[in-house]
Amino acid sequence: MEEQRIGVYVCWCGSNIAKMVDVEAVAEEIGRKPNVVISKNYKYMCSDPGQDLIVKDIKDHNLDRVVVAACSPRIHELTFRKALQNAGLNPYFFEMANIREQDSWVHEDRDAATRKAVDLISAAVRRIQFHEALDKRTVTIDPATLVLGGGIAGLSAALEIADAGKKVFLVERSGKLGGRAAELDLTFPYLNSARQMMAPILQRVQNHPDIDVFLDSHVDETFGYVGNFECTVVGKDGKETGLKFGNTVVATGLKTYDPSPMENYGYGKLPNVVTSVEFEKMLLDGKIETKDGKVPGNVAIIHCVGSRNKDIHEYCSRTCCVTALKYANQVCSALPETNVYELYMDMRAFGKGCEEMYARSSRRNIMFLMFDKEGLPTVTKAPAGDTCEMVVEIDEKLSGETVEVPADLVVLMVAAEAQENARDVAHAVGVSMCGNDFFIERHPKLDPVATTTDGVYIAGGCQGPKDIPDSIAQARAAASRILATIAQGEVNVEVTTAVVNEDLCCGCQTCISVCPYTAVSYDEEKNVSTVNEVLCKGCGTCGSTCPTGAIRSRHFTDQQILSQIEGLLSKEVA
Amino acid sequence: MSTRVNPNMIKDLQKFGVGDWNACFHCGNCTATCPLTEQGFLFPRKGIRAMQMGLKDKLEGQVEPWLCYYCGDCSDTCPRDANPGEMMMTLRRYLTSIYDWTGLSGKLYKSKALHLVVVSLIFSAIIAAFLIFARVPDPGSPDVAAYLEEMGATVPLNKFAPSHLISFLDHIQLIVIGLFLLTNAFNMFYKVVIKDKTVKIPLWLYVKEIAVAFWNFVTQWRFNKCERKTYWLSHWLMMSSYVLMFIFIIFFLDWFQTDKIHPISHPQRWAGYYITFGLTFACLVYFTGRFRKKEAIFKFSHHSDWIFIFLLLMITVTGILIHIFRISGMANMTYYMYVLHLAFEVPMVFTFVAFSKWSHLAYRPLAIYFSNLKKSAKARMAAA
Repeated sequence: MEEQRIGVYVCWCGSNIAKMVDVEAVAEEIGRKPNVVISKNYKYMCSDPGQDLIVKDIKDHNLDRVVVAACSPRIHELTFRKALQNAGLNPYFFEMANIREQDSWVHEDRDAATRKAVDLISAAVRRIQFHEALDKRTVTIDPATLVLGGGIAGLSAALEIADAGKKVFLVERSGKLGGRAAELDLTFPYLNSARQMMAPILQRVQNHPDIDVFLDSHVDETFGYVGNFECTVVGKDGKETGLKFGNTVVATGLKTYDPSPMENYGYGKLPNVVTSVEFEKMLLDGKIETKDGKVPGNVAIIHCVGSRNKDIHEYCSRTCCVTALKYANQVCSALPETNVYELYMDMRAFGKGCEEMYARSSRRNIMFLMFDKEGLPTVTKAPAGDTCEMVVEIDEKLSGETVEVPADLVVLMVAAEAQENARDVAHAVGVSMCGNDFFIERHPKLDPVATTTDGVYIAGGCQGPKDIPDSIAQARAAASRILATIAQGEVNVEVTTAVVNEDLCCGCQTCISVCPYTAVSYDEEKNVSTVNEVLCKGCGTCGSTCPTGAIRSRHFTDQQILSQIEGLLSKEVA
Repeated sequence: MSTRVNPNMIKDLQKFGVGDWNACFHCGNCTATCPLTEQGFLFPRKGIRAMQMGLKDKLEGQVEPWLCYYCGDCSDTCPRDANPGEMMMTLRRYLTSIYDWTGLSGKLYKSKALHLVVVSLIFSAIIAAFLIFARVPDPGSPDVAAYLEEMGATVPLNKFAPSHLISFLDHIQLIVIGLFLLTNAFNMFYKVVIKDKTVKIPLWLYVKEIAVAFWNFVTQWRFNKCERKTYWLSHWLMMSSYVLMFIFIIFFLDWFQTDKIHPISHPQRWAGYYITFGLTFACLVYFTGRFRKKEAIFKFSHHSDWIFIFLLLMITVTGILIHIFRISGMANMTYYMYVLHLAFEVPMVFTFVAFSKWSHLAYRPLAIYFSNLKKSAKARMAAA
């Protein structure tokens, strides 16, 4: 191996590291290691003067590799790689030793922590000697976008992208656009008409020159990678259309829970126990009445039917509380003589304007009764001669009493749940799912619209129960992400990918079965595995599974890892 | 069968006091703040909940509203301005009407007009009675002159309204009103104690607990557990003055209503001045308080509160004037004031003692008595 010139920089991180690690002694000791040309310590390596120090040393001392001993690479690896790039070095000739999170922050013995810092940096120094220059790669982006789902989220995303002059293919499984929002009478919290809100949106989508709408259609599978996907849309009549697109928005929505299995509510047995969906239909038709056409004297609205229930869905469906308040208000206004009861577990009116709506509602003639998830209310037929048709028995939590609520109409606020074909959709577009069959975002806080597959975004109810504003916000966020990549024209892809040494590969295909990104495929002709470098994320799973050692993970080669371990464990004999 | 909720009951309850019944969201701050509430007798929150849900049976058997003396801390610290203290007051008014089997109480509480009409009618009737039956004594007649001579007095009030006759009428009033109050109190006993099947109270406990109840009645010591001691003081002054006045009028009117002007050192005059001071002080505190609406307990005033304090103030003022005119020798003015005094006093007694606010004089000590009975009985049951 040719002689290398390594520069090592030990950061104080103010007092974060320096108080527990003798940074000067560490730098001095590391400076005696073979190939280490200079070894310095500095108060804040990540600061501009700190980075300038590295750039200057690279030039002055002709360094070809740099080790920074500081915080976690999660925080500043990119910072320092950039510094190397500025000095004209390949950014992968860099290694970080974490002597803060893994050392100074977690130890109390200064001598031991100092020794550990030396070991961690030695490991990095050993490892970096086997680093290779890696070049960044880009792919071009097809400006068209596939939007799956014609609900409010899909429509919003489609319009946002098409309004920017980019092509959108909007695929809707059912025969009409609008989704759940089109089935609503009024929207909460301001009780505006949903139809008035939806009509212009639907009209614009249908007439937009840059949106191709496919109704009664589905997509069984998409192929390709970010910027270059393709799929076949299958219509109702079996008509197939081939599409090419660069990004995908998955906005397939959700469905409502069927409460028949919950025997305590008597849904399906008692004629005047209806779901919130059925009640919404009544409101839309302008008639609140019992099955035999009478005006109900008592309306009981029961919350959390199928939600926050450990046997059904543990999650909160998020929209039902305020929807229930909306119903109570509508009944109050339409039937002033009718008594309205809200049977709730907790009132979760968290959205903008929603708590105010709750406060307003609580001043109307609505009786709020609280129950516990351990004791759900029970709906039974009232005895003959009673003033009401049904009786809801509830262990009322705030009074501590078991009481009866008279009811002529019972509305069950049913849970929102994932579509029954969510798994098929997930497979078709390559998104992951959480435990409840909702699609999972790349990061629950920092990246709520992207998925683990580049170029595939999620929006609306398919990611979890959501109200209209949240669905639209997510859809437009996804659209803006897509427009940004389209504007760039090309996108960087991971360079620390896996490579197959075809001479060593035995064609066992174990790697194909473990790859979470479907990046590995089988070349039948050569009887070897090949890696699609665009899809590969460099997770290393295939490399560690490969029985013959044919797969090498760039930047995490066996040699690099082993030398790092050697550096960590070897002790120099004084 | 469990109790059925009744959303319409609140409409009825609202006539007894505050309106915004749904403001409370049951944080429990009021109960946590209250220095009087205790395990087994939790208030005000639970009572508010029973009101919201319209649990009539539960409300009727509640003793808790009477255990509250209304210091207003709960209302001051309520995060929703639901005014729990006034809700307790509302419940007390409601319970008073529930105990009253004649139904008059509820009517007086629900209708300001009716209460005013009843008061005005009795007021006019008293004046009419005096106009018809009373004769102003002629100081020139030898009979009266001899009487004045004998008494060393200047105003022969007892010739105008003889104390034995007034005392006799008082006794009739006592018996009539007392009967109503007693039967109402028994109704309370039935609803609070007998109907409560969760606890069985042995007879000897009734005897044992009487002493504590009496002590509480005399001292109002329970009120002193509230943080604002001045409330206890003004309340106690009013209570003790009124009770003292009641005892003198009913049992010792001959001694109390004399034409002879005793020397200032005489106990009759001390007693009179004490009563005057107590009532004046309390009236001023309550009157100004209700006008200023600064303190929680005065922010909301039901019409029964206003009529009550007005009548009491008038009784006090006329009482003072009788005294002044009598010792100044202004005979006619003394008689007029005496007539007005009774014209304010009788409607006060008639509408308030058994049917409205004043009945808490009986219900509150009884509530303390009943709750102590229940507490002791439960403690015995737990120990057994």
